[in-house]
Amino acid sequence: MQVEFLLSYIPIFTSFVVLFAIYLIAALSLNMEYGYGGIPNFGHVFFISVGAYMAGVLTARVVDYIAGIKAGYCSGQASVLRTEYLSSHPAEAIGLFVASLVLGAFVGGLFGYAASYPALRLKEDFLAITLIFIGDMGRIIARNEEGIVCALTGLTGIANPLSFIKDVHMRSLAYTVVVVAFAVLAYVYVQRLAKSPFGRLLKSVRDDDLAAMALGKVVPRVRGEVMIIGSALAAIAGVLRTFYIQGVVADDFQPLITFLILTMVILGGMANNKGVIVGTLIMTALDQFISPSFLSLLGIRVEFDVTYMKYIIIGLIIILVLMFRPQGAIPEGPVETPALELSKSSEWDVGEELKMEEEASKK
Amino acid sequence: MDLSVPLMNSLTLGSLYTLMALGLTMSFSVTKIANFAHAELVTVGGYVTALLVNWMGYGLGESLIAAFFASALLAVAMDEGVFKPMIKRGSKPLFLLVASIGIGLLVRYILFIYADLNAVITVQAKANVQLIGRFGRAGITTIHLWVFPITIASVVLLHLMFHYTKPGKALRAMADNEDLARVSGVKIYTLRRLMWFIAGGITGIAGGLWSAYSVITPEIGWYALLRIFAASILGGLVSFWGTIAGGLIVGFAENFGITFMNTYFHVSTAYRPLISFVILVIVLLLKPTGFAGIDVIGWIKEKMSKGGE
Repeated sequence: MQVEFLLSYIPIFTSFVVLFAIYLIAALSLNMEYGYGGIPNFGHVFFISVGAYMAGVLTARVVDYIAGIKAGYCSGQASVLRTEYLSSHPAEAIGLFVASLVLGAFVGGLFGYAASYPALRLKEDFLAITLIFIGDMGRIIARNEEGIVCALTGLTGIANPLSFIKDVHMRSLAYTVVVVAFAVLAYVYVQRLAKSPFGRLLKSVRDDDLAAMALGKVVPRVRGEVMIIGSALAAIAGVLRTFYIQGVVADDFQPLITFLILTMVILGGMANNKGVIVGTLIMTALDQFISPSFLSLLGIRVEFDVTYMKYIIIGLIIILVLMFRPQGAIPEGPVETPALELSKSSEWDVGEELKMEEEASKK
Repeated sequence: MDLSVPLMNSLTLGSLYTLMALGLTMSFSVTKIANFAHAELVTVGGYVTALLVNWMGYGLGESLIAAFFASALLAVAMDEGVFKPMIKRGSKPLFLLVASIGIGLLVRYILFIYADLNAVITVQAKANVQLIGRFGRAGITTIHLWVFPITIASVVLLHLMFHYTKPGKALRAMADNEDLARVSGVKIYTLRRLMWFIAGGITGIAGGLWSAYSVITPEIGWYALLRIFAASILGGLVSFWGTIAGGLIVGFAENFGITFMNTYFHVSTAYRPLISFVILVIVLLLKPTGFAGIDVIGWIKEKMSKGGE
């Protein structure tokens, strides 16, 4: 009885954790580009979708080929056959998953490199305009081409790499562990990157690219590199999502997704990865719990589509945070260098001295 | 191939894009905010017109005036409520852009809820439309008699205002250098309010005309926003004449481009927005100053003087 009761909560729990982890990877990559690098990549959803399409197309095409599925690429029959094949051939399924991740990240990085072309040449608000619309153009192409993700119907039958596990709960828990592992890896990676000389270089370019250039830093190269890294990470989030929902639909990648992820970054605190975790947690909760299915679980009925409510709240959060606390929940910390750690551990207190200086200057 | 239908569509849509882009050009040149909530001014204007015509039985003219005031007040409220406080706190331009996205989401989805509750997610103003003439296979209706004169009148009035009246000249001074205008005694906050009022109002009228021309949804502004930005950026974001050229070019390029591609290459008409997007990117990368950066008279003078030598 007790166990069954707990089991009924597993789907809610796993779906929350998986989405949180996927959003976290996406938000960390946006934070890398926008928070640390100062590049307003508001076409973020495009780079996520590149990974998602890549995973779908690669898996479907390869399975169709090796399993000899003759039914049409987009047909429901092919989708069933693909799922059957992938759940009975664990090695191939996992191999395709890994291949999708690698290829997705590569192609994502490639598109990031392409997008860095305008990124080096435009003023930042024009760049933001261009990138917001790039995000939508990708969706328009994908939803009108049969060959990518089957236009409006969407590509299905991209079975979970762990679908050889027969028990549904065990399978979803196992995939949750995999996705969370990726999120942790992504966090460790961006955190190390931010603390490395490259992270400091990024911040210097963001704050004053002329000064960085005067010190001999190659600014376009730095911006190009951060776009490649950020887009590759975003594409990985897309790959993980495709295997999670076992398919990919072009219309899932609306510009609104970018704004949701942007809100995570702004709410948590730009250029602060810990803050991004907080922001992602809050926004994922909002995204998950303001949904018709969850509200009906609580017995709340509303006359209109509650997803509208979600976007109103997102809009309000963006406005209020930018007006009253633009640095976010956890503000950007000082640059962590060995010198800072030394000053923390030794008796010589930089902070005290600064305060004394400030007081002296006030007098 | 009969070109009369795409020609008529291009002219109508081009005029509507021009009318919408005029407001954006104005607000961008004075405040330097790339205002994404501009889309919502179109939508609000459209809905006010459609609902007044359909529910209250007002004529199109009265409804357009109401749309003018609704969008104008919304624009002033945006500035007073969000942009001005943020500028006073010293926000970066990019933060203002992001905040405008937030305002856009807020207004758009409040409208969505309202439209959902009243079953008007898709709506068209049932204005009294009559066929008054034919141009090839395309019909000329009373809607066209509203669209073209209003567009031309708006541009002419704005031009007269910005070049021959004191507030207009002061606004141009503000667009050039706000601090300098301020120390010269220009009341910048009063003028800003006036500017947002006019910019919002014109955009609202454009939205109202759109609702009489075709079916609208709460997303209509977002749908038009790409074209509005493309038209404005083509015009260099500072000049009204440039904006007209930009709006018409976007209208013509989209309609002729997609008709041509559809007839000869079987490209789906759903790719229509890509044309505006390509225009936007090409202009930004090659000539970010748009038409405003092309000095035709200077060029002619140069040629003349060279020819004279």
